[in-house]
Amino acid sequence: MLKILIPTFMLFPTIWLVPGKWLWTATTAHSLVVASASLSWFKWCSETGWVAPNLYLALDPLSFPLAVLACWLVPLMIIASQNHVAHEPLTRQRTYISLLVSLQVFLILAFSAMDILTFYVMFEATLIPTLIIITRWGSQTERLSAGTYFMFYTLLGSLPLLVALLYLLNDTGTLSMHTLQYIQMTNPDTLGTMLWWVACLLAFLVKMPLYGVHLWLPKAHVEAPVAGSMVLAAVLLKLGGYGMMRMMVVLGPLTKEMAYPFIILALWGIIMTGSICLRQTDLKSLIAYSSVSHMGLVASGILIQTPWGFTGAIILMVAHGLASSALFCLANTSYERTHSRTMLLTRGLQMILPLMAAWWFLANLANLALPPLPNLMGELMIIVSVFNWSSWTILLTGLGTLITASYSLHLFLTTQRGPTPQHFISMDPSHTREHLLMALHLIPLLLLVLKPELMWGWCF
Amino acid sequence: MVNFATLVREHWMNILVPIGFVIGFYMDRAQDEKLTNFRNRSALYSRELKPGEEVTWK
Repeated sequence: MLKILIPTFMLFPTIWLVPGKWLWTATTAHSLVVASASLSWFKWCSETGWVAPNLYLALDPLSFPLAVLACWLVPLMIIASQNHVAHEPLTRQRTYISLLVSLQVFLILAFSAMDILTFYVMFEATLIPTLIIITRWGSQTERLSAGTYFMFYTLLGSLPLLVALLYLLNDTGTLSMHTLQYIQMTNPDTLGTMLWWVACLLAFLVKMPLYGVHLWLPKAHVEAPVAGSMVLAAVLLKLGGYGMMRMMVVLGPLTKEMAYPFIILALWGIIMTGSICLRQTDLKSLIAYSSVSHMGLVASGILIQTPWGFTGAIILMVAHGLASSALFCLANTSYERTHSRTMLLTRGLQMILPLMAAWWFLANLANLALPPLPNLMGELMIIVSVFNWSSWTILLTGLGTLITASYSLHLFLTTQRGPTPQHFISMDPSHTREHLLMALHLIPLLLLVLKPELMWGWCF
Repeated sequence: MVNFATLVREHWMNILVPIGFVIGFYMDRAQDEKLTNFRNRSALYSRELKPGEEVTWK
């Protein structure tokens, strides 16, 4: 654990001491080395169920895929941001990269915390760098309102969680993840216990986000710079799913009845946000709503609490993390050239950037869950387990899949096919940096399906 | 010929992350040994190591 955390801390002095002309090269190289070293967590060989343990931090099969994803995303965020941040003053560039690395530190600590309260603190701590990235490096004035939405939605959800956790700590004397599964609820049917159940999950449902408390997400995605969108879609939403899975073991028999409205909201959300995607004009907003739709599937998979539901949820979280981050990168490449996110104004790019169109095609196929990508595996496992819970759900999940395919094709056809608009006068060719970025997103996705047990969670 | 002094002056900070790896690796190993000793003292888990086995918990 420390062999990843200490080099990550060492990135801070490196960022501030390295000469300006080497800043991007050195930080990309070092963070890529740290990310490659984090792959050693995949070598999971412990009869205790925990890998790389010390007294406060450890990883288990639920957390290490997400921790590796968090490490993998940092070099990709640095590569993606180069073009638009490299023109700013040097100190501001260093601050920007430091914020990205601080996010990595908080995320590793959140995923590896052995204590629910430490997890909570780190869960909240990730808000600070994300908020600074959105409100300082966003491109429009609306970024301030997006930051307010982001902050207050998340905080309003998570304050009840703090109270619920302190209540649990007072009751049991510990919040260690080793002992949480042995906690028994004494009086499960009282109103107080039901409120406690809601308080325990609300923060994570807002973070996922569940349909109904999702409005902060499209705003934050649209206003954030590319690195902010990438980390939000790829890892920060997954903190919600991870937290839910951790808390589920404590919530016990109460979940069986209490989860009904939330499962219905999650499934209904798949249809609603999918439909919103079909009539969306803003490129980044479309990708953001598609994230809400996919995370609805993840939420329903977790809430029905079956091993297949959990496994499908982890697989879909990892696969969606890579695919949606790739889509945001692609949206940024066309934004940097056309200076517009409006889909009507960025048509026919296949004629100008043909190789980029190939990446768009692959990323869209990943988003609509085509075989053999792990997205399909995750979606199928969740849909099957939800179907097993109630056969009527196939109407919602099936229709959701159909809508997902439709808006993914709509996204591809609108941006890539058709006549090229007349207002494109001169446009940069695609850079090797951008192709590298896409390859580093999509090659891991293709490789993961060859050994999916790396992200199967507890069930292998 | 490469000017060694300039090379060191411009690139010395690149050694920080590798140093972090070394320190982290050392501390992880020390922690593993500590936990293994603790585990070997327990009546439930302590046992003789098999030939070629480094620790009991792998």
